Amino acid sequence: MTNCPECDAQVDCGAMIAGEIFPCRDCGTELEVLATAPITVERAPKEAEDWGE
Amino acid sequence: MSEPVRLGLFYTILRPEEKWLLAAASARGISLEPMHDEGMLFPIGGAPPPVDLVLNRSVSHIRGLYALRCLESGGVRTVNNAEVTERAGDKILGSLALSRAGIPTPRTIVALTEDAALRALDDIGYPAVLKPPIGSWGRLIARVRDREEAEQILEHKSALPSPTQSIFYVQEHVPKPERDLRILVVGDEPIAGMVRRSTHWRTNAARGATTEALPLSGELSELARRAARAMGGGVLAVDVMEGPKGYVVHEVNPTPEFKALQGTTTQVDIADRILSFALEAAQP
Ligand SMILES: Nc1ncnc2c1ncn2[C@@H]1O[C@H](COP(=O)(O)OP(=O)(O)O)[C@@H](O)[C@H]1O
Ligand SMILES: [Mg+2]
Ligand SMILES: [Zn+2]
Repeated sequence: MTNCPECDAQVDCGAMIAGEIFPCRDCGTELEVLATAPITVERAPKEAEDWGE
Repeated sequence: MSEPVRLGLFYTILRPEEKWLLAAASARGISLEPMHDEGMLFPIGGAPPPVDLVLNRSVSHIRGLYALRCLESGGVRTVNNAEVTERAGDKILGSLALSRAGIPTPRTIVALTEDAALRALDDIGYPAVLKPPIGSWGRLIARVRDREEAEQILEHKSALPSPTQSIFYVQEHVPKPERDLRILVVGDEPIAGMVRRSTHWRTNAARGATTEALPLSGELSELARRAARAMGGGVLAVDVMEGPKGYVVHEVNPTPEFKALQGTTTQVDIADRILSFALEAAQP
């Protein structure tokens, strides 16, 4: 368990791994799991210029 | 008995595509190690990560490219490899390769300064299309309707901090119907195609185009295969427009998303096909 950096609600990223993107259930902010030990979440990254497919 | 093959999945964000790849590997009992690009270190001359092959799914062209170079230098195989990724991920290098291979592609001029870009636009004629050499999802691509607009757009572009924003890729505007085509080639085989429809002139699925299955004719399959070969082969998504004189390939994508494409077909399990290709490429 950790907290949403936007609204401080508890977020549960149980079985997630780094790089997973999910919306905060309270405020809807897109969050990204940065690391799992310990669990850290951050606002999902904005697209960088060289991002693409 | 040879050792079981170990694969790595180099990624930035776990999109459905990456989750499907991990699920496909686990369903087959294959080891596919998630390798998050943000946390990786590549000691020069040091031991590479303990995998036989890395599948690059990073959304960052530059991260992917350097990682692939480091991995390859350490003897790790890669899909797509750095050479293919570099070529296909850069519209200038990609167009050069398509043109060398004699594949029909829109008329394009590269210019290195704002003044030269203006001359290139005048030469191509209006409307013209201006694209950043590296980038995707239809971002920062402009349709330039006349010279006045050209001057405005160029001024804005050269004010941007990034050096590749001031290299200009100027292309004829192809008067296509309200759609374009996307064909995914894995290995040497076109495995699925889709039509992307939009009333907007940029028909990227990422911009909300609607998608439907595209049955692959012999002509389209052959065109897609040739375009993929021109990049050096691998897992490649070939973008095609229907121009007045027939099909033209405008780009080939080296780390394709395939959620929308998978949504149009139940005939083929795309993640599983990519995994099969990677497994084969990992064989000693
Ligand atoms: N020369 C062109 N003429 C008309 N439409 C174009 C042209 N080039 C691109 N487009 C439209 O814009 C979309 C995005 O262009 P593309 O070259 O594929 O760049 P991206 O890498 O951003 O997908 C295409 O799918 C197509 O619908
Ligand atoms: Mg495209
Ligand atoms: Zn929140």
